[in-house]
Amino acid sequence: MSLVDTTTERVAEGIGVAPGIAIGPAYLYARAAFEVEERRIASEDMEGELARFEKAVSRSERDLRKIAAVAREKLGESSADIFVAQALMLRDTAFHEAVVEHIRRDRMSADYATHVVLGRHRQLLEAGESEYLRERANDMLDLQDRVVRHLRRGKILSAIDTESIVVAESLTAADIVLFSQRAILGTALDYGGATSHVSIMARALGLPAIVGMHGVTEQVVSGDMLVLDGLTGRVVIDPTEDTLAFYRDRRERYRQLQEEQKKIVSLPAQTLDGRKVRLAANLEFMEELELVEEYGAEGVGLFRTEVLFLMRKRVSLSEEEQFKAYRRIVESVSPHRTTFRLLDFGGDKMLPLGHREHNPFLGWRGVRVLLDKPDMLHPQLRAIVRASRFGPLRILLPMVTELDEVYAFKDILSALYEEFEKKNVEYDPDIPVGIMVEVPSVAIKAGRFAREVDFFSIGTNDLTQYTLAVDRGNDLVADKYQELDPAILQLIRQIVEEAHACSIEVSVCGELAARAVATPILIGLGIDEMSASPIYLPEVKRVLRSIRMEEARSLAAQALQARDAHEVTSLLEVWLREHDCDVASMLEA
Amino acid sequence: MVTREVTVMNRAGVHTRPASMIVRAAAKFRAEFLIRKDEYEINGKSIIGVMTLAAEQGARLTLVFEGEDENEAVGAISRLFESGFGEEL
Repeated sequence: MSLVDTTTERVAEGIGVAPGIAIGPAYLYARAAFEVEERRIASEDMEGELARFEKAVSRSERDLRKIAAVAREKLGESSADIFVAQALMLRDTAFHEAVVEHIRRDRMSADYATHVVLGRHRQLLEAGESEYLRERANDMLDLQDRVVRHLRRGKILSAIDTESIVVAESLTAADIVLFSQRAILGTALDYGGATSHVSIMARALGLPAIVGMHGVTEQVVSGDMLVLDGLTGRVVIDPTEDTLAFYRDRRERYRQLQEEQKKIVSLPAQTLDGRKVRLAANLEFMEELELVEEYGAEGVGLFRTEVLFLMRKRVSLSEEEQFKAYRRIVESVSPHRTTFRLLDFGGDKMLPLGHREHNPFLGWRGVRVLLDKPDMLHPQLRAIVRASRFGPLRILLPMVTELDEVYAFKDILSALYEEFEKKNVEYDPDIPVGIMVEVPSVAIKAGRFAREVDFFSIGTNDLTQYTLAVDRGNDLVADKYQELDPAILQLIRQIVEEAHACSIEVSVCGELAARAVATPILIGLGIDEMSASPIYLPEVKRVLRSIRMEEARSLAAQALQARDAHEVTSLLEVWLREHDCDVASMLEA
Repeated sequence: MVTREVTVMNRAGVHTRPASMIVRAAAKFRAEFLIRKDEYEINGKSIIGVMTLAAEQGARLTLVFEGEDENEAVGAISRLFESGFGEEL
C-alpha cells in the first residue's frame, strides 16, 4: 500500500440497525471466498486428504449441534430441526461415502469432492416444481459452505479470533449465532433491512450492525481498519488519526449513555410530576422475548405476527403452531399484556401469493386481506383467543379504513366466542380489540371509530407516508418523509382527544415512539403508551423522567404552530440540551 | 418384502424437516427401506436421498421394506405420511 492510501479515508453508508460504535480491522466473510476449484491430489496425499475431510465433518457436526441447541432454546424445536437435518446429512452415505469415493478413486481434493457431491444433489432439488423444495437447496449450500470452511480452517477461522468487524454480503441466523460467541465487534452487510432476521439478532445480541450497504464487500479487504457507527449507518474505511480520535470519543460518550440507561431500566416510567406513560416493546421474533424484561418494558405494545410466517416462508401456519407460539409469548410477558397485531400483509410485506399490484400501499393489505381470506384470519384468531387464558392480551387490527371492517371483524369474533362457549374452550371473554390508526381518514374520523373499539394504536410510519404523500423507500423524496411534520402532530392530537373523550387508550407504535427526541411532544399530546424496539426504551424513559406535563404540553403546543419538521426538531433539541438531557441521536456529527 | 403406497399430505411437501423425521424413524428398524417415485428409487435411510425425491404435496410414493421387522417399519413410516409430519395440510 502506498503512502497516499494511508491518508485517504473513505466513507460508505447503509442502514444502521443495531446501535453502537465499533473500531477495528475488517474481516471479510464472503461466500465467494469458498469458490471451489477443481483440484486433484497426489496419491501419497490421499490418506491425509481423507483425514482432513473427517476432521472437517466432525467440526461441522459439532457446529451444527451447537447451533441446533441455541436455535432450540431461542426459536423452538421446528427451527432447530433444520440444523439437526444438516448434521444428519454429514453422516449420510449419499454424502459421506460419495466424497470418500471421489477422493480415493478420482483423487479429488476434499473441497472439490464436497462441492461435486452436494452440487449434484442440489441440482436435483433446484429442478423441482415446488418453491418450498427449491429452497431446501439452500440447506445443502449452507452445509457445503460449512464443510469447506472447516477444510480451510487454518486460513479462515483463525482470522476471526482477533477482534474484528465482519463484512459480508449477508449472514444467516446460524452465522450470527456463532459469531456472537467470538470476538466480533460489529458487522456491515451488503444486503438486508431493518426488519431482516440478522438485524433483529444483532440488536438482541447488542452487536453494532449496518445493513443495506450495497457493495461494501467490494470496497473493503480483510485487515482494513474500519470505524462502524451503528447509530448513523456509516462505515469509515482507513480512517485518519483525527477521525479515529473523534470516534473513540464518540464511542466513549455512547458507552456512558448506555451505562446511565442501564440504571434507568428499573425506575418507573413517569414524568417529574407523576404522570405514568406505559413504555412497551415492539417485537417480531420469539428470541426477542427476553428483551422485554431486560429493557424494562411494561409488556408488548405491538407483536407483528406476520414475521412468524415470513420466517417459515409459508402462507399459513396451522392454528396449533400459532397457538403454541402465542401461548409462549403471553406466558413470558405476563403479568404485563401483549398486543397482537393480526397478520398485516400487503404494502411492502408481500406474501408469496404470486400476487402483484401496481400500488400495493394503496391496495390489498392489512384487514382488507384478512376479511377476504378467512383461511388466513380464522386460524390466527382462534389461536390468539385460545392463548388468552394464559395471560392478558389485546387484538389489534391492521390497516383499517372503514367502520364496516370493524363491524365485520366483531361479528367473526362473537361467532368464535359462541363456538368456544359451546365447546367449553376456555378463553378470556373480555379481550380488548383495537385498531391501527395509520390512514388519515381514520384519524379524521377518530371520534366515530373510538365508539366502536377498545383502543387505538397510531402507526406513525404509514400515517406519515399517507399524509405527506412520501414513499420513504424512494431515495428521491425520502428527505421529505418527516414524522414530526406539524400536520402529523395535528392528526395525533385529534386522535388522542377523540379517544380520551370515549375513555379509550392511545398508543404510538411507529418509529416515532423510538425517537427520544420526540418523547416530550408525544407526552404533551397525551399519548398513554409508547411502544418501540426495546433497546430504545431506556432513552425514551430518561427523557420522560426529566419533564413535567405542563412543559410537555407547552412544547407540543409550540410544535403544532411550527412551520415544518425541522423547526419542531430544533425546538425539541434546544429544550433537551437546556435540560441536560442529550439523546443519542443528538450525538450525530 | 412389504410395499405400501402413500401420498404426501402436508402442504410443504417432503422438505428438510419431514425428510429428517423419516430417516430418523427408519433408522430404528433393521429392514432395508427404499422409496420409489415414478422411475426414481432412493434409499429411505438417506436424508439426502429422501430430500432429492423432491416429493411435493399430492405426490404418490411407494415404500418398500425388506427385513425381519418390515411390518412394524411400514406401519411407523406410513403413519408419518398420514399425519402430514405434524405440519399444515
